[in-house]
Amino acid sequence: MKNMKLNVMIMSGSEDGTTLTYDPSQGDGQEVENAWQISIGRKEENDLCLRNDTYVSRFHAYIIWKNNRWWLEDCDSTNGTFIENAQDFFDDQPIKGTIGIEEEQLFRVGRTWLRIQVIE
Amino acid sequence: MPNIPYRDILIGARQEAFKMRHFFVGVEHLFIALLEIRGSLTGKLMQEFGLAPEYVIDAIRRKTGKGSKQRLWAGIPNTPRVKVLENIAYDIAMEAGRDEVYERDLLTAMLDERDSVPLRVIQALGITDFDALRNMAQNYTLNSETQQAYVKVEFGSGFNRDEMLTKEQLFVLRRMFAEYAQIRVEYRLTGGYSQATLLVVTPIRPDQQEDATVAVKIHQVDAILDEAQRYESHVKAKLPPMTARIEDKPTAPESSDLAGIKYTLITQNNQPPRDLRAILAEWEAEKLSNWLTDTFFPTFGNKWWSQNREFRFQVWREYDWLLPPILTLELVKDKPLPPNAYVLRMPVKRAKLNRLDFGDMVAVENFVVQKVYAERHAIQLAVGQGTDSASAYKIEVRGIDFNSDTYYRGEVVENIIGTVWQTRSQQLMNAIRALMPDFDAHNEKIPVNLDGLEKVPNPILMYEGLLDSFVNGTSATIHGDLHPGNIMIGPKESAFLIDFAHTREGHTIFDWATLEISLLNDYIMPYAGETWNDARRVMGYLLKLNGGDFPNDIPEPLRSKLGVLKSLRGLVRPCLANENQWSEYFIALAFCSLRALTWETVSLAGRRLMVLVGGLAIHELRTRFRPSDDNTEDTEDTYRSF
Repeated sequence: MKNMKLNVMIMSGSEDGTTLTYDPSQGDGQEVENAWQISIGRKEENDLCLRNDTYVSRFHAYIIWKNNRWWLEDCDSTNGTFIENAQDFFDDQPIKGTIGIEEEQLFRVGRTWLRIQVIE
Repeated sequence: MPNIPYRDILIGARQEAFKMRHFFVGVEHLFIALLEIRGSLTGKLMQEFGLAPEYVIDAIRRKTGKGSKQRLWAGIPNTPRVKVLENIAYDIAMEAGRDEVYERDLLTAMLDERDSVPLRVIQALGITDFDALRNMAQNYTLNSETQQAYVKVEFGSGFNRDEMLTKEQLFVLRRMFAEYAQIRVEYRLTGGYSQATLLVVTPIRPDQQEDATVAVKIHQVDAILDEAQRYESHVKAKLPPMTARIEDKPTAPESSDLAGIKYTLITQNNQPPRDLRAILAEWEAEKLSNWLTDTFFPTFGNKWWSQNREFRFQVWREYDWLLPPILTLELVKDKPLPPNAYVLRMPVKRAKLNRLDFGDMVAVENFVVQKVYAERHAIQLAVGQGTDSASAYKIEVRGIDFNSDTYYRGEVVENIIGTVWQTRSQQLMNAIRALMPDFDAHNEKIPVNLDGLEKVPNPILMYEGLLDSFVNGTSATIHGDLHPGNIMIGPKESAFLIDFAHTREGHTIFDWATLEISLLNDYIMPYAGETWNDARRVMGYLLKLNGGDFPNDIPEPLRSKLGVLKSLRGLVRPCLANENQWSEYFIALAFCSLRALTWETVSLAGRRLMVLVGGLAIHELRTRFRPSDDNTEDTEDTYRSF
């Protein structure tokens, strides 16, 4: 984990195209019980702060590295966390609790689409 | 309009951002601005791929959604991705020796970058080869439309010249066959409830060689493009090997509200196939029954109706959409809602709805835009997904100024206020009044004066309770508009279907109820007479048929024709969740007849019969085919003899 960096690209909204890099060796994110997590929300305290999306909750979701894979967790947000629906592009699927997530897969918090990309 | 400068595009993009309450300029706004400029390269390229610019605009809006009314910053800044694109586009322009960025440069930059929202949307709409698109963007020459070759249109002997095609329909038709010298419109196929125009057309090459006859459907752009999408995702893989298929991409000319789609037909000896409606008058009833049972059902049954799975649903979810809108509202803007006003949201409480009157103020919350009628200044809202053809609780809102308010299909409208112009009950009551009833239409019972049955429930007053009941049925791929005009008879009397605009996963027996109602109107009622008493007589025969009794004293040709319904019910039986529970079928019949009752294309006699068929269905559901309560043993819901 020490040699890994996480890139998150914002894929829609007013900050569309912005790439944020998180490096655990630089103290980014939080390490909790064999896991490393990046918090997402509208409040400034979050690792990934989406201050311009009013559909994002103050503490909305986590991206988590645990058991050698990536997970996405919704923190009971008001407007939900979603992944794309393979059957219907326009009917995004809300996630409940924590789900596994692949690199390059898009997901949405509030109205903002995000994509994770890992640099070894 | 070649060479649109970037600064002009940016103006359009800012307007779009404002309309959507986004207050920033993203790639999606730039792309929409390009599509909104008539004659733009981007618009032309979308059409080359079979997509109308308006359709793509709607799809992008649906994917991004409207922003909140709260504005968090001043000005309209560009997103970081737009800044990246500006740089790429500027480089492309520089390479070409220009210092101004044009549309082509911007579009090429988007196609190089590939990650933006609009590109993800067009990919979902079926444009997956971005290299090909980029190539076209580089090399496409914008021709003016007048350079188009003229396609001569002639009409075959089977075409009824009293119902000529409109100028706009001819325009679309010529576009669809632009590579031919001439086409012959053989005849018109009678449509279902969609009011689309269906034609059988033979294309003719410049050397007078005739190509295979095809069926052409011309309809509103949105409907045609939705059908093409639906066909790709739901229908294509489930068709039997020998049947009609959608050929090519749809044709959606930019300057028209109409679009067209072609279905291949299977022909023999160059004889165009015929639809079942044309055949009804020729075939003996017995032949028709046998054909339905031995040819038609087996051809599609294996992949469609026989692949059914258990499906428990509340009736309104599958059947409310057949009824007129629950409310027609006149938009009210900038006025506060009075404290006692009715707020319509899920779950819909219909009892309250029925007490509404003309002029009452109503707020509608979180309904989805299903249709945008720009020319009528109206939108249709409903519950359910934007692209789903079976959506419940339609509401029409009139008096919308599209210059100041943007609505797009699939949009969830958080709140909209209007005054009641018409309720569903009023609309149904008007429909029944137009039939000059010989009874009081406000009464809960309609006199039928038959042996053993004096009265049946008045369907327009008594259907309500059915909407809330549960059905233990099955679901399967269904055609969604199975009337004889969509059933084709090809070589060696083979069966195929056209028009997949409503094909979906739904209540299996809906198709059969639709067909029964069509046959009653087109096949049986014309031989029975026009009066209410003629309709009552036919209803009496149906009552007997429902009981499994098929008496000899029914006069011909009605007896043989009703025999076809008897065979049809024989096909319904294996599609039922439980072979002896007919309640699900009579629920479907009740709603299909209520729908036909409001159609002006159905004859007066047919609509009168529809009132009685609806009443009879509700009567049967209360007596012979009572739906069983959940988790209890079945009651006497049996259907003898078939």
